[in-house]
Formats: sequence, C-alpha cells, structure tokens
Amino acid sequence: MSATTPLASATAGAREAVFTVRALTKTYGEGDAAVHALVGVDLELYRGELVVLLGPSGSGKSTLLNHLGGLDMPTSGTLRCRDIDLAAADEAGLTAFRRDAVGFVFQFYNLIPSLTARENVALITEIARDPMQPEDALQLVGLSPRLDHFPAQLSGGEQQRVAIARAIAKRPEVLLCDEPTGALDVHTGITVLEAIEHINRELGTLAVIITHNAILADMADRVLSMRDGRIVHEQRNSRRKPVRELQW
Amino acid sequence: MSLLDRKLLRDLRAIKSQAFAVALVMACGLAMMIMTRSLILSLETTRDTYYREHRFADVFVRLKRAPESVAERIAAIPGVARVETGIALQATLDIPGMPEPAVGLIQSLPEEGELVLNRLYLRSGRILTGRGSPGEILVGEAFASAHGLKPGDTISAILYGRKQTFRIAGIVLSPEFVFEAPPGAALPDNRTYGVFWMPYKELATASNLDGAFNNLSLTLAPGAAEEAVIAAVDRVLQPYGGRGAYGRDAHPSHTRLRDEIRVLHGLSIGFPLVFLSVAAFMTNAVMGRQITLQREQIAMLKACGFSNAQVGWHYFRFALVIVVVGTALGALGGYALGHRLVEMYHLFFRFPSLEFLLAKNVLVAAALVSALAAITGVWGAVRTAVRLPPAEAMRPEPPANFRASIAERLGFASKLSVSLRMALRNIERRPFRALLTCAALALATGILVVPSALRDGIDYVLDYQWDLVQRHTVFVSMIEPGPVRALAEFRTLPGVIHAEPVRAAAVELRAGNRMRRIGLTGLSAEAVLNRVIGPDEKQIVLPSHGIVLSAKLADVLGVTLGDEIAVRVLEGERPTFSVPVAALSEDFAGTAAFMEFDALNRALGEGDRISGAYLSVARGEWTRFLRTMKKVPRVGSVVIKDNIRASFRKTTAESIGLLQKIYLTFATVVAFGIVYNSARISLSERQRELATLRVVGFTQREVAAVLVSELVILTLIAMPIGLLIGSGFSTAIIQTVNTEFVRLPVILTSGNYAFAVLIVTLASLLSALLATRKLNQLDLVGALKARD
Repeated sequence: MSATTPLASATAGAREAVFTVRALTKTYGEGDAAVHALVGVDLELYRGELVVLLGPSGSGKSTLLNHLGGLDMPTSGTLRCRDIDLAAADEAGLTAFRRDAVGFVFQFYNLIPSLTARENVALITEIARDPMQPEDALQLVGLSPRLDHFPAQLSGGEQQRVAIARAIAKRPEVLLCDEPTGALDVHTGITVLEAIEHINRELGTLAVIITHNAILADMADRVLSMRDGRIVHEQRNSRRKPVRELQW
Repeated sequence: MSLLDRKLLRDLRAIKSQAFAVALVMACGLAMMIMTRSLILSLETTRDTYYREHRFADVFVRLKRAPESVAERIAAIPGVARVETGIALQATLDIPGMPEPAVGLIQSLPEEGELVLNRLYLRSGRILTGRGSPGEILVGEAFASAHGLKPGDTISAILYGRKQTFRIAGIVLSPEFVFEAPPGAALPDNRTYGVFWMPYKELATASNLDGAFNNLSLTLAPGAAEEAVIAAVDRVLQPYGGRGAYGRDAHPSHTRLRDEIRVLHGLSIGFPLVFLSVAAFMTNAVMGRQITLQREQIAMLKACGFSNAQVGWHYFRFALVIVVVGTALGALGGYALGHRLVEMYHLFFRFPSLEFLLAKNVLVAAALVSALAAITGVWGAVRTAVRLPPAEAMRPEPPANFRASIAERLGFASKLSVSLRMALRNIERRPFRALLTCAALALATGILVVPSALRDGIDYVLDYQWDLVQRHTVFVSMIEPGPVRALAEFRTLPGVIHAEPVRAAAVELRAGNRMRRIGLTGLSAEAVLNRVIGPDEKQIVLPSHGIVLSAKLADVLGVTLGDEIAVRVLEGERPTFSVPVAALSEDFAGTAAFMEFDALNRALGEGDRISGAYLSVARGEWTRFLRTMKKVPRVGSVVIKDNIRASFRKTTAESIGLLQKIYLTFATVVAFGIVYNSARISLSERQRELATLRVVGFTQREVAAVLVSELVILTLIAMPIGLLIGSGFSTAIIQTVNTEFVRLPVILTSGNYAFAVLIVTLASLLSALLATRKLNQLDLVGALKARD
C-alpha cells in the first residue's frame, strides 16, 4: 500500500477528501474459522472522482464497498466520511448516514416490483434531506418516457438506470455501484455506465464502481486493484476515456 | 398516501386470496366471540333490567296454608325488605282440540293494587286489579302463543273438581317465569303447561284458602344474608307446612336462564380462542412467506436509509390491514348472527323485549386480540428480516441443501416415483416448514371435530334420557300424594300395559357442611319404565337401604360410596334420617337422588303413598286413554314423553342445532382457508423450481404431481394428529360448558372423524386444483428470471 500513498497524497491538497480510511480491517468469524476480508486498507476518496475497484471474487471489494456505504462495521481501523466517524457510529447513525450521504446501485437492481419507476425513486426522495425531483433524476438517466412503468415492464438496463436515478436523487456524497453491469449485456451495460459517468460529471458526485471487468478501468480517474483484502495496486489515468470509446 | 403505503396495497393485491383467507379465519373467530358475548350482554342486561323494574323476588317458598297474619312475622325477620303473599295452585286445563290434559299454575293477584313483587308485564289486553269481574283471567305469553290465545278468548279449567270457564283479559309476562316450564322439568312444553293469574278472592274461594296464603316471596334488604333469612323463614313457616324456602339460585326459571348464559360464556372463550390462534398461525405463515420473498427489498430499503423501525412498521401494517378486514367482517358477521340468535332465544326466554346489544367493548378487545395475534405472527419474520445485514440480504439465498430422503436411504428409492421423491426430499430439506404446514392441516382437521362432538353429545343425552332411562309413555302426577291404591286405578285405565309407582319428596341433603335441596325420588327397585342407570349404562337396582345419587350430586356434596348423608324432609311429617350412599348414577341434566319406593315411604313415615306413576300405554288405546285420563280426579299433570321429545326437538334442539351449524360452517371455512393457504404458500415457494421442471420438459400434469404429492403426504400425516387435537379441543370446550345443571358427555364418533377427514380432503383437493390452475398459468421465463 505504501507504493500508492505518495500519489494519493499528491492530490490531497488540491481536492476535498470525502472518505478517509486508515488501517481498516474486517474479520468474520473467530479462531481457525476466521475470514480476513479486509487487512489494513488505507485509502482516500475525493469529491468528483470516478474510482473503479478491480479484483477477483473474494478479494474484499464488496466488503470495502459495504463499509464505505455504512452497511457493515469494521473490526478495527479508521473509517471517516467527512466528519462522520463510521467506525464508531451506531445503528441509527449508520441509517442516517445511508439515508443522507450514500447512493447504492446493486448488481440486481433491487427495485420494489410493486412500485413504478417514478415511485421507486420517490420512495427515497420522500425520506431524503435535500432531494431532487424524481422526474429530474430519471431524466438524468434518460428514462423520462418510462416514468410510470413497473419494473417488470422495463428491460434490465432500464431497471438499472432506475436504480441509479434512485441512488442519485438524494444528491448523495458518494455513489456506490456493486457490479452495476454484471447482469447486463454489453450494449445495455454501456447505457448504464454512461448514466453513472454523466452523474459523476454533472453533479460532481464521487462514484465508486466495483467490477470484474478490467475494460472499465479506462473510464476511471483512479483504478484500485484488490487481492486478499488489500489494495495491491493503484493506477491513475491522466485522461478518462468516455464509455463509448471503451474497447469491449 | 406514502409510497410505502402504495407498495403495501399493491403487494396485498398480489396475495389477495391468501390475505382474504386469513381475514376470513380471523373473522370467524371474532364473529363467534362477538356473537356470544353480545348475546350474553343482551341476556344479562335485559334480565337485570326486567328483574329490577318488575321487582323479581330473592327468596321463594311454598307451604300448605298459613293465615295472612303470618306474613307480618315474615316481614319482621331481620334482612327482609318486602313480602308478597298469595295463592298458587295447579289446575287441569281442558284445551279444545288437544287430546291430553294441560296443566295450569294459577296464581293470585292482590285484592288491592298491583303485585308488590314479581310484577306482571302486560303484553296485550288489560291487567286485572282489585276484585276484577268474575271469570276473568290473565295468561302467560308462552302458553298463550302456543295455543294462539288472545284477550277475549275463553279457557276451561278444573279447579278443585269444578270445571269453570274463564275469559282471558290479558296476556302477561312475569319475571318469575322467564323460562315457563313446570317445576322440575328440564325442558319447556308450552303446549301442556301454562301460568295464569286471577284475583285473590275468586281463587281463595275456589280453593278454600280465604284469608290465607300458600305461596310467599320476599326481597332481601341490602346486605342481608340470604341463608339466615331462609333459615328464619323456614322456622316461621314450619307449622304451616312450609316446603323449604329457596333463593334465586334454586329458582327454576332463574337457574335455567343463568345456565344458558353460563354455556354461552364457555362457548365465547373456547371456540374463538381456537380460531384466533389458527388465524395468528396463518398470518404468521403468510407474512413469513411475504417477508422471505421480500428479503432483497428489505435489504434495499435499509441500504437506502430506511430504519429498522420503519421497515418493521411497514410489514406490521401488512398484517394490520388483514386484521382490520377480519375485524370488520367478524363484527358484521357477529352482529348479524347475534341478531338471529336473539330472535331464537325468544322461543325459550320470555322477556318484555329482548333487544340485541352489541358488546362494543368486546369488539374493541377482539380487534386488539387479533391485532396482537397478527403482530405476534409477524414479529418473528420481521425480526429476522431486519436483523439481516443488508449486504447479505441482497445476495440470493444460498442454494438449498438437498440429500436423499430417509425412504430413499433406506433403499426404497426404486419404488418411489420422481415426483414422490422430490416431495419427500423437499419435506426433509425444510422440516420446520413441513411441520408448520402439517400443524395447520391438523388444526383444520381438529376444529371440524368440535361442533360435531357437541351435536353427538346432545344426541347421546337425548337417547340416554328418552330411550335408556325413560321407557314409559306417560307420567301422571297427583295433586297431592295419595294412597297406593291409586296405582291400581291407573292400571285399569284403557290401554295401560304397565304402571309403576313414584314417591317424591322435597328434601335437604347434607354431608358435612355441604348442602343441597332436591326432590328425592322413590322408585321400584327394578323399575322398567323409569330406570336409574349407572356409568356403564347398566341399570342400578335400588337397594332397600341406602340412597343413589347422581355422580355430579355426590361430587357437589363431596361424598363417595358408603358415606352417610343426613336427609331432612321438607314436607309432611318432616322427619330426618341418615342413609349411606349405595350407588352413583349417571345423568346429564341437573342432579338427582333416588331411593327404593318402599324404603322412602318408610322413611317419610306417612304410610304407603304415591306421588304419581309411570305408565306404558298401548298405542291403539291412546285416544281412549287420554279421554278417560282427563276425567280422573286428583291428577295434577300428565306428561307425555313423546310430546316433550317433540317439543325439545322444536325448541332446544333447534337452538343448539343452529349454534352447531354456525360453528360447523365457520370450522369448514377455516379448514378450507388453512388448506388453501398452505397450498398457495407451497406453490409460491416452489414457483421457480416448478417452472424449471416445466422448462426441462415435464408436462403440466407431472409438475402438478410434484406439488400435490407433497400436500398429500403432509395431509395424510396431519389428519390423525388433527383428530387427536380435535378430540382434545372437544373435551376442553365441553368441560368449560358443563355445569352442575347442564352436562354433556364427550362423545367422539367415527362419523364425526370421517366428516372432518372428508372436509379436509375436499378442501385439499379443491386447493390442489386451484394451485394447479395457477401453476398452468405460470410465466415460465418470468419465474426463472425472478431471483426468488
């Protein structure tokens, strides 16, 4: 990890850090059965950044993402988002954090099947502090014509874009995407990634994307590679490639 | 409406038939609870108001004859508030068109003003006051309506051997005769027994009781001890042939009403409890399934910042909607049924008006109870769901762990079809869920047993009473105990095949500090017309020394075989003696005590006398017998067994029958609800698996076989358990209903079991059919795509 630190600190002065992670560890189980999901992760994530997390299954990507999103509690280490200490927050504190600061996009969309696209987004804007209009959020992902369709009436890509609209409608600090194209074909995947890229550019939202797909690395500002619970490589792209130009 | 509410409504719509089935089960329990509690409230309120407004007395006593001045001595007893004296006597009535004689109890109206106690309520016509005009009479409503009598009609009665014709001035009701039945009779026969009132003077002249009374009732001053007053009254009246004063708790009309309310109390607890438990159970199953299905949605809601409380509350409201619908349906059903039953109660209990009163507090309590039941049902499922870390919940559940079923491991694999093998493995893989389904099916079977057990118990009692115990055609009672030669006269009546004497006396039985007043009956040792039957249905031969008590009476007195009982006779020479308990008899209505005929006569010390006789009469001579009977002097009443039986069938049996039908309908609805729900849950849980089977080439029929096999296996396991549970329920409920005065045996017949099995089988078949139809509509691709 030490190899990556100079690069990270080089940008620290210029940009505001959203997340500060120090010596973060997460261990599931005890004794012989203990699984070390995260082993001393150090990391800073900045506003407006688009970060891609690469790594094989079991490398700790999702665990890290879940910690960033307040879905899990670390075993030790520092985990801060702005001035919120996520490592010390209680259940209510984490709920409030997720409600106000985090937008999640999941591999399997996780829409409420009994609510329309608009309603799925509105569900979140109803509880958020300073949300945008659900219609505006859906427009950002190009779904204006499909506002009143139920998930079952939408294609996979459209469902995922609804999920993105739902995630960004609360104007979160960070957009956390766990394999957002994992369940989609290439063409549909592109539309979804474009939506994420668009949000990141337009709103300046920090976006973290987990993927198996190394091609996505070119669209990021920074690419972090994980293995065995550690960040083993960090790559900084001088120029982000537009999604359309990625080589599939 | 918030979006979560909208989600709630749409999700509910998706499971509407299941949700409705749960609401219906809940409604059945609530309807029964509201129906019975409202009936209790209606009866109690009406009774209390009636008693208060019409000054129902607290203590009653009959005597031979006492001069009017004695009334003042009674009034002077500490604790006595008001005293009413009068004449009450039995008369034989001649009703045109009725072959057998009817009996009337005629009571006097005071010479001045109105009755002080037990005041009459005028239904139609006019009340008689003062001396009235001669030949006028008031008739009790039950008798009047049984014969279609109106004011202005006439009626003939034989008063002290003189036939007189009276004109009916009015139709009345009395708080003393809410239940209008002859003393000692468990059942009303309004055709052959009626109550009448006429001015004192006329009645006193006819009965040679002028200036005297033979009937007294009184009210107690607040705080007075009833027992002390009764003892004092008995002391004062002893020289005047007092037959022992008694309080309301021995008053025939009052106790009958009280027992009915007691039975309702029993039913208002047992049945609804069972039904509401079943509803809670079903809510649990439906909600558990819903929440499992929505595992990922819950995770998403939590990931997006909804708190555990918000998510939990959302799913609780799911259950609450079901509760609200169930409560509304239950309230409506209970209200409608209660109304219907109140009308029916009018057949037995005569009140000025019996209004249906909705037990509102019970309604609220019932709603709370079922909400609680539902919340209990949902609690576990919600807790599991919100506890799951969102990150974990969003991943698909790990594939279920399958292995060969026990049957297969034991080497029966080759004998099992694929669908059977799948069904068995599925049951073994999730034994807890199979257990729940099994329990639901067993409950469905169980609750079907209860109403039929109630019906069979009543049938048994009737057969017992009228075939095993009573084998006579007619019971004839004398106005006063008479010489035994009267029996010889009865034997000479046309058609009489056999006649057996009866001696009866009012007595007080005492064992230690326990006491009961009862009619002690003397019968021939080996009587064939009215037999004393033991617990094994065998006749008890009455011993020449000793007393036979009904098992319940022995229980009440705390005595057993061989114990001595002190007997104090309350009439005639009033002897006291002590006898050992020689045997215990079995009977189901009230309590009874028997002695051998001669032994009782010896103990009473009045020589050989009879109070009446049981006769068996040849069918061909029936009309002639009755015609002659009407002319026999000293006959008080003639009770025809078949008439009582017919009247019982028309009234009591009908009311119990109606209740039983209501319960049976409810039980059937519940059984169907449970079975249907189990099938639906099983279908939705296995949708994906079944769709896969279809995709890989199984026919609709084969896939249906997989689903149905599981249901069939579970039903087969559940049924015998259900019959056991049902037997337990029946025993428990019948025991809560049983009192000292009304008892039902627990009779469980194979017919009852067969019916329960049949209904559950039908319900299973129908549910399987419906589930199969759903299965055929399955969107194969959709079901496979959905991450269930």
